[in-house]
Amino acid sequence: MTSTPPLLRVERLSITGPSGRLVDNVSLCVGHGRTLALIGESGSGKSLTALSLMGLLPPALSVEPGARVALEAQALPITDERAMRAVRGRRIAMVFQDPMACLNPYLTIGFQIDEALMAAGERTRDRRRERRDALLGDVELSPALARRYPHELSGGQQQRVMTAIALAGEPKLLVADEPTSALDATIAAEVIGLLRRLQAERRMAMLFITHDLGVASALAHDIAVMKSGAIVEHGAAATILAHPAQPYTQRLVSARQALARGARHAGHAEGEDAPAATVSNLTVDYPGRGWFDRPVRAVDAVSLSVPAGRTLGIVGESGSGKSTLAGVVAGLRRPSSGDVQLLGTSLAATGWRFPPATRRACQIIFQNPAGALNPRLTVASLLAEPLGLAGLPRRERRERAVAAVEEVGLKPAHLDRYPHELSGGQRQRVCIARALLSQPRVLVCDEVVSALDMTVQVDVLTLLRDLQERRRFAMLFIGHDLDVVGWISDEVAVMHKGAVVEIGPAKQVLGAPTHPYTRRLLASRTHPSPSDSRADGSTA
Amino acid sequence: MRAVHAANRLAVMITQGAALVVLIFVLNRVVPGDTVDVLALQGDLTPAQQAEMRRELGLDRSSAAQFIDWSARALAGDLGQSLRFGRPVADMVAQAIPTTLALAAGSFIVGLALALGLAIGAAMTGSRALAACVDAVNLWSIAIPTFCAGVVGILLFSIWLGWLPVIGSFVLPVLILGIDNAGQIVKPLHEELREASAAAHVRTARAKGLPPWRIAVFHLLPTAAPVTLALSGLVLTSLVAGTLTLEVLFGLPGLGSLTLNAVRGRDYPVLQAAAVVIALGLVLINGLADLLNRLIDPRLEQ
Repeated sequence: MTSTPPLLRVERLSITGPSGRLVDNVSLCVGHGRTLALIGESGSGKSLTALSLMGLLPPALSVEPGARVALEAQALPITDERAMRAVRGRRIAMVFQDPMACLNPYLTIGFQIDEALMAAGERTRDRRRERRDALLGDVELSPALARRYPHELSGGQQQRVMTAIALAGEPKLLVADEPTSALDATIAAEVIGLLRRLQAERRMAMLFITHDLGVASALAHDIAVMKSGAIVEHGAAATILAHPAQPYTQRLVSARQALARGARHAGHAEGEDAPAATVSNLTVDYPGRGWFDRPVRAVDAVSLSVPAGRTLGIVGESGSGKSTLAGVVAGLRRPSSGDVQLLGTSLAATGWRFPPATRRACQIIFQNPAGALNPRLTVASLLAEPLGLAGLPRRERRERAVAAVEEVGLKPAHLDRYPHELSGGQRQRVCIARALLSQPRVLVCDEVVSALDMTVQVDVLTLLRDLQERRRFAMLFIGHDLDVVGWISDEVAVMHKGAVVEIGPAKQVLGAPTHPYTRRLLASRTHPSPSDSRADGSTA
Repeated sequence: MRAVHAANRLAVMITQGAALVVLIFVLNRVVPGDTVDVLALQGDLTPAQQAEMRRELGLDRSSAAQFIDWSARALAGDLGQSLRFGRPVADMVAQAIPTTLALAAGSFIVGLALALGLAIGAAMTGSRALAACVDAVNLWSIAIPTFCAGVVGILLFSIWLGWLPVIGSFVLPVLILGIDNAGQIVKPLHEELREASAAAHVRTARAKGLPPWRIAVFHLLPTAAPVTLALSGLVLTSLVAGTLTLEVLFGLPGLGSLTLNAVRGRDYPVLQAAAVVIALGLVLINGLADLLNRLIDPRLEQ
């Protein structure tokens, strides 16, 4: 298998920035026509490694001397801007994470593909137009789209256009940096299928960067795992997924599998509790702009309820109205019509002016904990705020704050830190502690683990479940990751274009869905299992 | 979508314009003493003659009635008679407009060219000398009022060097206003372009292997357009103020000179007409800037 030299060989690559070494002595290789998945959590240095191969590192970062990079057995001058211009697009091409931001909003996509063909040395106009249409066909788009602007395309179509641009120079190596992370699940699955097909048809090698083990196993022949700037494990995909050797890889694999396997523990008798929150016939319209524009319906006649001590999961893609719904239940937004009953109080009847006791009894936790915590306050002050509102004397606040951080698995020492001194998972724990201080009876969780790394997600989810068992609050858990929502929820509601299309017990909805949209959503899931992976016969 | 937006924008512009006209009318009435008082001081009129005159001019009626009367005539193109010169106000305003437009447009173009050139050069090359120029022009416009620069300019170029006539030349006022304009937009423009050169779509352009000039023209420059337009809208207000002052200083017969003379002579019909024309002009220009923004940025159509 290794008689010929690999297509790409990287040796002793280190990258330094103002704060120190970010990529540490990385060596890896990608074989001809093979896919290497570079896996790691945020900040592990995987994107920087990819950017450095294109010579596209941000100006503040630099490759340390001593690195050796060879493409097709020729040295690659990755620090020479002028020389790299001839390499980019023609020998190595790259697809990035956020396709909307990566396409120029002022130019038609036809122009942007044309430019790539020009850079690849295609001289005549007619020839470029011919090849442009062929490229669009290759990525399963209609050539008629060439006249559109990026914002007129969906996220999936944008990423296909990015792929077409990358293919324009017929590169030997395609570097894909989290190309599906910004896309909804069903779209992401399609794009992965496309990349897999193109890679096989064109016998192109691919360096695929991802934090998602499921995506990696669907695509990769080989896997390299990165942690804190260094590669900790490198080998055939099937071997690593079946028998991870390093503790870090083991945790990564088991975290995902635990979520995928475990439906929620059955500990609840059915129907023992009265509903803590009931939403009936709720509709939210956003006003149109100006005087003559039509309003947009974000939530459309939604009815659901969640009893004390239980969890209702709400899944749906971005724009399906789930966060708007969460905002109304938490009292952050007024609906256009319909009612929310919190603990027996009808909010429509009070004119959406929450009685203070009800307001405190319903708390919300958001997706991005860094944004939800005032950066100028210490954890202790952040926690003292709700206590002050509840009328607790100053002396007792510290004591209660200590109890609160210990309940969410932090140490009293964390009380004197500022949010930026904590990790993402720790920050989200602070948000949970703050929400719990008001003794909520209803907890609204809006994508609370989506911004966290996989292993941390499992920790935070376990914490939420344990807290719920102890405190018996009702939970409205909003998410787009079906495994996460399925794991924590008793019941699941599926939202699509503002309406609930399916609702029922979690096992039933996610196990035997009846609505076609739910089936599409479920079909797009990717799981890390050795049997899925593309590792060829040599490792079986 | 385009029609809805145009309708919205037009409705806003009409409301703004109407509100400004009312405001100007009210301010003109709030000033103590009316036209007849001014004439009485000059012509030594008896109270009976004054009352007679007020009735003739319609000044004894309610302000609302006067306003409706004035608006109806103004819409028909009749802005009344100048009290000092006895000429139709509409003619006087129409004669003054081209001078003011030429001065404003000229200095706007000079300012835009200077700011864009400096900002793009500094952002693309990362040159420290050019960045210092950006700062210098910016400081100049903050620190030196246009009329100061005007006085010094006349002293230097007209009196000492004798290159330009003291009165009636456009060269100095256009240059002075142009630099003032450039100074107000060049700094944010430079920041914007520096950020844009780190934007994801510029990185994509580099990843395609494009040459630097293509990246500058097609990927960097359009990014700066909305900011340039938005800033230009803001700058226009100070541009109009600057135009009015410099007209007076350089003896150019535009709206500024007209307004100043009207104030000096208490020529209320002229003053009111000039103020209304300037205000409506600003509303119109801001509307056009917004329209242009939409043509350049296809995303705003949504």
